[in-house]
Amino acid sequence: MIKLRNVSKTVTSGSENLTIVQPLDLAVEAGDYVSIVGPSGSGKSTLLGLIAGLDLPTTGEICIDGVEITILDEDELAELRGRKIGFVFQFFHLVPSLTAFENVSIPLEIVGVKGANARAATLLAEVGLEGRAHHYPSQLSGGEQQRVAIARALANEPPILLADEPTGNLDSASGRQIVDLVHRAQRSRGTTVILVTHDVELAASADYTLRMRDGKAEREESKDSVGEGV
Amino acid sequence: MRFVFRMVLRELRASWRRLLFFFMCVAVGVGTVVALRSTIQSVALAMASETRALTAADVNIESEQPWSEAALAIINDTLAEEPEVERTASVEMTTMARPEDESMAVARVVELRGVEAAFPFYGTFVLDGGHEYRHDYLSGGGALVRPELLAQLGVAVGDNIVIGQAAFEIRGVILQEPGGQLGAFSFGPRVLIDRADLISAGLLGRGVRAERQFLVRVPEERIETLVTRLRDRLGEEFIRVRSYRNTEDRVARNLSRAENYLSLVGFVIVMLGGIGVWSVTRVFVQQRIRSVAILKCLGATNGQVLAIYVTQVLVLGLLGSMLGVALAGGLLAFLPASLSESVTMPVGMAELSYRLTISAVVQGVGVGMFVSLLFALGPLLEVSTTKPLSLLRWGMVPATNWDWRQIAVVVALVVGLITLASWQAASWEAGLWVCGGFAVVAFVLHLAGQAFTRVIQYVGGRVRFPVQYAVLNLARPGNQTRVILLAVGLGSFLIIGIHSVQANLVNAFALEVREDSPDMFLIDIQQNQADGVIAFLSERLDSAPTLLPVLRARVTGVTGQQTTITSVAGVRRRGVGREYTVTYRDRLQANERVVEGEFWEGRLSNQGEVFEVSVEESVRDRLQLMIGDLLRFDILGREISATVSSVRAVDWDDSRSGGFMFLFRPGVLEDAPHTFISFIQGPTESVTRATLQRDLVDRFPNVSAIDGLEILRTFRRILDYATVAISAVGGIAFFSGGLILAGSVAMTKYQRLYETAILKTLGATSRSIALMLAVEYCALGAVAGLIGSLGALGLTWGLTKFLLDINWVPVPSANLAGFAFTLFAVGVLGVTANLDVLWAKPLRMLRGD
Repeated sequence: MIKLRNVSKTVTSGSENLTIVQPLDLAVEAGDYVSIVGPSGSGKSTLLGLIAGLDLPTTGEICIDGVEITILDEDELAELRGRKIGFVFQFFHLVPSLTAFENVSIPLEIVGVKGANARAATLLAEVGLEGRAHHYPSQLSGGEQQRVAIARALANEPPILLADEPTGNLDSASGRQIVDLVHRAQRSRGTTVILVTHDVELAASADYTLRMRDGKAEREESKDSVGEGV
Repeated sequence: MRFVFRMVLRELRASWRRLLFFFMCVAVGVGTVVALRSTIQSVALAMASETRALTAADVNIESEQPWSEAALAIINDTLAEEPEVERTASVEMTTMARPEDESMAVARVVELRGVEAAFPFYGTFVLDGGHEYRHDYLSGGGALVRPELLAQLGVAVGDNIVIGQAAFEIRGVILQEPGGQLGAFSFGPRVLIDRADLISAGLLGRGVRAERQFLVRVPEERIETLVTRLRDRLGEEFIRVRSYRNTEDRVARNLSRAENYLSLVGFVIVMLGGIGVWSVTRVFVQQRIRSVAILKCLGATNGQVLAIYVTQVLVLGLLGSMLGVALAGGLLAFLPASLSESVTMPVGMAELSYRLTISAVVQGVGVGMFVSLLFALGPLLEVSTTKPLSLLRWGMVPATNWDWRQIAVVVALVVGLITLASWQAASWEAGLWVCGGFAVVAFVLHLAGQAFTRVIQYVGGRVRFPVQYAVLNLARPGNQTRVILLAVGLGSFLIIGIHSVQANLVNAFALEVREDSPDMFLIDIQQNQADGVIAFLSERLDSAPTLLPVLRARVTGVTGQQTTITSVAGVRRRGVGREYTVTYRDRLQANERVVEGEFWEGRLSNQGEVFEVSVEESVRDRLQLMIGDLLRFDILGREISATVSSVRAVDWDDSRSGGFMFLFRPGVLEDAPHTFISFIQGPTESVTRATLQRDLVDRFPNVSAIDGLEILRTFRRILDYATVAISAVGGIAFFSGGLILAGSVAMTKYQRLYETAILKTLGATSRSIALMLAVEYCALGAVAGLIGSLGALGLTWGLTKFLLDINWVPVPSANLAGFAFTLFAVGVLGVTANLDVLWAKPLRMLRGD
């Protein structure tokens, strides 16, 4: 489903080159639930951004469903994201000028899905926000905004859901709601989930964990082994 | 596309208040273009249906000299060939009129026209009191006059006035008159009398300036043939032949030129609006970057996102243009009726109504949308360069260097603006000049703005807190300091500049009526009246007047080293085909100097010597004359050849001795019939002055005494109108600057509220924040005013030196007043627009409500 071969990312910081992600091979099968953990600045979010096609690797190639995304241009990448990838951010990133309902409708409208309104309403109901559909992001709490973001990420029923610290900006109760929603999506739709988190509980619920340190990734199979040092 | 349209509607719903300034900027520019074009087109439309009323005939044959036998024969023969023809004769001249009542010490210059019973063929007179025009009003010593004359002479209908040697009874008042000249400068009000009476009044003496006309009516299809035949046959005679269509074409050409130049004025306002659009769009796009990144992250392509914002710009451009059209419509609907009448009444046109024309509306909307798109393109490029990655690592996405898209946008902007300006002016040359001028002004203002922000950054660290924060605010990113400077500075530059130019013109003109300058001009003094006039004036004035002998002459050919012209048509092509007033004397006047050749000494001694002429420099340049070249003249029907022996520079500002393009060596023209003119200094006291004019006309009825002070008053009135008109343009420019300022304040309001909340939390009082705002905007206003003032000084200097050719005098009062007004206006507007910043509670802002 997702294959990374020799993928690395180096950026220039002042006059120095800084390697954020060391050369990495990774294969994630359809329906897998993967967590990425590691200290701040270890390259977690960069790796997630590379998988989402938001950035280009310095070396290596990334294939999604057999398509090498590193050779696609901006628009082809955008189309790929629209069809295959849902993204949830730590800071929600809802469009402030649109209501919750409209935020969920956008991905459907971008790809031109018929019945977008009904689908958006269903998704909002699924995340428990049917009564807040016509509220703007500034009128919602952080947890509610993140639930809208998850509904939006799932709108096109993407086979892949990428989440960058989805509970990092929420209280524990709201965080638990988000974790439940992500789990439900993975189980009921068979969605492949890769999430970056500092949340021990959330990481432990994954099939396996990638621990990142200084740009290097190490796979840990045991769900119980994560948590220390995160 | 559905997604794009839905997003456009959603975005507009969310941000229309902030974008209000976008369409206000467009509206002001479009409104100006539409109002100006519609006004001119309304006049053109009305004139197109009334052109024959302007000429009162199908064909006009005109001569400034008495008809020669040969010319009359040609005209009679040619008209006789026409199967269907009517003609009538008319004479127009400038002369004096006075009340018959001896006790009334007043006399005025009038534009006299003598007509026959058949006049006019087209158009209708409108007389006061609703009376219908009949020639009976004029027959047997009757006169119809314009209402102004009644007031000037203190007479009424039924009273008699004296013109020349005859008295005329005022039998009616002319409100509309066919056959007048649109916009032509006139020395005085119209008086209409019977042509036979005009001749018998003894006004048509030798050398008197009068226009003789034949007005002809022929069937429409014969007009062109007749005009062509007459022109061909009268080729070498100094006679003008024109059809009403020529007049129509000339009027249409002039109106079209006026329309195009006025549209350029509108274009400058549109450009300012464009700058406002650019400024608002830039801030708007900056505030939308995160949303753009989100859309891209969700799968929207560059094209889709760009389409959302370009469509918004087009929608706003369209709405702004429509608002502009509505503003123009409102303006035209409320134009005072007196303005309409001032155009139509004197030339005998029916009532004129100003209304929006379809062509002006289409052009205005086109210009509005085009400018919106053009100026928004640059800021919108940021939309296409925004990376979705910025959502993950804000601020770490490297800025892209200039790429082909940015270069293409700059090229599109330059080409687009030049095309737009050229389209509006209907001339590539004018378009290039305007765009070039605008670019230079914008560049200078940009540099000034840049220097200003650098200086305040330097100064900012050295003053106490509120002032320090205020000046640093001006250098803050997104504060639009340079854009505001550009727009407001340009507005104050136009207003101050034009008032300074006006003051310079008035000053230059006032120099001419200084204590030793003549202020009264006597013309048409016959040879047999010369001694009498000198004696009369010597008695009334302190000193004896000098009479200058003048003749009326035309150049008919040149035989020279560089130029040879053998036909009248050739002379006309060089721009010297008109009739000149020439003189002869054996010395130079104080306002003349020889720049080439040698001035003669004494008069010609014998008949064998070659005649000599001295020409003014501009004549030399037009005809490319060299010393020794031979010029041929027609003087009262007699051909005279003269060698160019010198070229003179004439100081036209010093009119004490007059100025002549052609000056002959004495000894040739003394025997030719000629008249005299004189420049005198009339009495300063108005009653004595009027009495002098009146008595002069009494004694010498055909002599006209033109009052220079009257002309000065007319000149000042015209200048005042022009100043008001151009100040209105400057005012709109200034208003645009105000809009941009208000727009900038509105767009950056959130940032300012947030910063003020932090400052208040840290202990800043409302007073110190108010002080900050006042210092910030007054500094901005001061710099804009300073730039405007300095620019205006440069403009006045350039215009007076190179275009108007008058002495440059700085006008500190205009500069100071303009500076103070700009400072005050920007200060008040800036602080007022930020009042809620003072009142906002910090906690609300800091919680992000």
